[in-house]
Amino acid sequence: MSAEGRWKRISGSQFPWVTARQVIQVITFISFLALFAALVRSSAGGEISRDWLLNLPFFLDPLVGLTNLMAGKKVLAGTSLALVTVFLTVMFGRVWCGWLCPLGSLLDWIPLRNQGQGNPPISDSWRRIKVFLLIGILCLALLSNLTLLILDPLTLLSRILAAVVWPALEQIFTGLATVLYPVDFLRPAISRLDGLVRNFVLRSTSVDYRFSLLYAGLFLGVIGLNAAAPRFWCRYLCPLGGFLGIISKGAVFKCRVGENCTNCGLCESGCPTGAISGYRSGGCEHSECIMCMECLRFCQGRAVKFPREISFSGWAEYDPDRRQVLAAAGLSILGWGLFKSSEASRRSHPYLIRPPGAQNPEFLSRCTRCGNCTAVCPSGAIQPSLGESGWEGLWSPILIPRLGYCDYSCNACGQVCPVQAIDEMTLESKRQQVIGKAYLDRSRCIAWADEQDCIVCEEMCPIPEKAIKLREVELKDSSGEVFVVQQPHVQRELCIGCGICEYQCPVSGEAAIRVFSPDGAVPV
Amino acid sequence: MTELNRREFLCYLLKGVSFLGVNALVGGCQPGTDLYPKSIPSSKEKLGTPEPTLTPNLTPNSVEPGAAAAPTSTRVSSPTPTVRPPDLVVTRHGSPQRLVKKAIKALGGMGQFVRPGDDVIIKPNICVSYHSYEYAATTNPWVVATLVELALGYDARRVRVMDNPFGGTAQQAYLRSGIQKEVERVGGEMEVMAPYKYVNATIPGGKVLKQCQIYQDVLQADVLINVPLVKHHGLAKMTLGMKNMLGVISNRPAMHQNLGQKLADLNSRVRSHLVVVDAVRMLMNHGPSGGNLSDVKKADTLIAARDIVAADSYAATLFGLKPNNLDFVRAGSALGLGRSDLDNLKIEELDVS
Repeated sequence: MSAEGRWKRISGSQFPWVTARQVIQVITFISFLALFAALVRSSAGGEISRDWLLNLPFFLDPLVGLTNLMAGKKVLAGTSLALVTVFLTVMFGRVWCGWLCPLGSLLDWIPLRNQGQGNPPISDSWRRIKVFLLIGILCLALLSNLTLLILDPLTLLSRILAAVVWPALEQIFTGLATVLYPVDFLRPAISRLDGLVRNFVLRSTSVDYRFSLLYAGLFLGVIGLNAAAPRFWCRYLCPLGGFLGIISKGAVFKCRVGENCTNCGLCESGCPTGAISGYRSGGCEHSECIMCMECLRFCQGRAVKFPREISFSGWAEYDPDRRQVLAAAGLSILGWGLFKSSEASRRSHPYLIRPPGAQNPEFLSRCTRCGNCTAVCPSGAIQPSLGESGWEGLWSPILIPRLGYCDYSCNACGQVCPVQAIDEMTLESKRQQVIGKAYLDRSRCIAWADEQDCIVCEEMCPIPEKAIKLREVELKDSSGEVFVVQQPHVQRELCIGCGICEYQCPVSGEAAIRVFSPDGAVPV
Repeated sequence: MTELNRREFLCYLLKGVSFLGVNALVGGCQPGTDLYPKSIPSSKEKLGTPEPTLTPNLTPNSVEPGAAAAPTSTRVSSPTPTVRPPDLVVTRHGSPQRLVKKAIKALGGMGQFVRPGDDVIIKPNICVSYHSYEYAATTNPWVVATLVELALGYDARRVRVMDNPFGGTAQQAYLRSGIQKEVERVGGEMEVMAPYKYVNATIPGGKVLKQCQIYQDVLQADVLINVPLVKHHGLAKMTLGMKNMLGVISNRPAMHQNLGQKLADLNSRVRSHLVVVDAVRMLMNHGPSGGNLSDVKKADTLIAARDIVAADSYAATLFGLKPNNLDFVRAGSALGLGRSDLDNLKIEELDVS
């Protein structure tokens, strides 16, 4: 590397702002994980009540707050905290992206591209994609649709934690413990570690998610884009970045390149978002600058400054023009129409079972797809929807009873939903909430098809009067001998659709008793 | 300290991993998971005589356990029997604590079962996390706690209480049943049963069930105290001591065909040293999870025995059933786990009010 000396940066300790940023990035990232772990663990003790701290990251996200205001036509007190973020942006530009955003920090820490590789071979015009996505999100939000909010960086990260990272950690931990537990002298240590991990980080039981490899792949894709350009996601795609970028154009503190710039180009190659350039008029494109202050470390001539000035930087050459903005808005509305015309909106999917409290028709216009309900569900029943609720409901929560059941003594999902898309319910009212209805498949049921006793579904039914009743019938076998079998019958009017019968049904593969969509069922 | 280079680091790592691997191999070869009735180590045999205890009113009688034939794991073999102890004790009309204390005393005291340094596991029925103990879906907390207290009184090394609920999380169930509070108050531990502790165990005595994933710690415990409560059950008619052992295996739904025989088979592998059937409150209908107070009947009764079949047989009469009405009792006595001929058993019935 002949250029080695050239790329040497000045040590960070000389730049307290850079050090401060790095420390704060670590702190916010760890806090985000800690809050997530607290969220996962919060349902272990049973009935819970709302804890605003668990929702703090989403309250700070202005995109979540704004879209919910537009789509849900409802002001949520907590989302007003997003004004803090907006205020920070008005003062200091995209500090959210450079200092606070956990996804941004993660992308910073996984550089897949060497510093010396020069400018990324991607046209600056790609930068407008994030603005198009923002326009799409806002237009759809006006039409009460939040599908594209799956691209919000916080919901993206927390969904991945819920459906990929935590389940994988659980599997790894359990797997290692299973292997090591038979070793006598390790046993006490494993027991103790297990107690700690399962008390503070993981669920007590392992849960499984459908399509978790697909989600993992998408997320790895977001990280992998770093190979094309540092912080590829933040530069070109992130709609929240686009939103904060537009505000940043008028930020009070801005990056400026001073007169004594020698056009050495070091800052340009060190800038993670490619915002700064000695040749650019004014030196820095403020809607792209994430205020990471890395440029300070590269600027040998100390020409880079962050002065206070009231000004508004104009449109950059790659910002979308009026025609493109209108086209993006038009396309997103067209897309909305296509979503709407899919078969899912005509008749609900037979297995579309929403969490208790998400039965109201406005549910999809409030759900931010953050995955909190998925993370908190103690049995792993709540899973991301891929097709069940149509394109419109992509990644919204549904229950898959074969993988988990709605626990009769849990009301957690409604309590951790940051935007109250899932109603807050007391345990008493949750126990009354009909989320589905169980139907028995007599051609597969052990008691009906094989004429043997089983009764597992009746045994599991949590309804005090039992929504599954057993009837004793006398049958004759081939030799004419009479025998007695108890056959289950579902009392539909008592069934709330919790799905524990489907979960526990011993028939292999598809259960012989299945919970179906309740079709607009109302509380009993 | 010199700095490690990558090669040295990998070397150390390899050595460490192979050390652990060898240990795992050695550990795997140990007959670690065998609780199957084996001869009692001689060092513990003197224990037929009373130990110094923290609860002097519970001085054990010098008795011969197991009396007639019960092949339960009779851990104690005192040399010369003076009085034949009862096969089964029934206590009535008292607080849960008193019911337990009097019943255990009549059986010869906790010293008959627990020796200093023992690892004791108490297995109550905490099948769901839905209701508090008044609903009689879970074992009475004071019955469990009194047993913990008695075991600790005989210097058990640790006393753990555990179950694996089928509905709701264990933590939640421990809290809502009230058992956690009472057990921790007297110094016992609640253990959340961990998924990695199940081992594939063969069941040599089993007729139908030949092998099963069983909780390792239960297999290895020195003393297993089985504390079911009397509940209605759709298939087995009642859930009692033998059926309570479904809580220590990992695949429960698969047990429900030919349940009676499978329960007998399972109990031939996982032997309860002491069975205490809680009938302070009984769930008469809509079991095992219940939820209606109108289904609960307060009986203030407790049954204690070494013989699990005898305990379940007597409990059947509380539901107006004959022991042989219960499949698992029939299968259990046929397999030689214990006796169901109540008429020939020495039963001590005590009013402890």
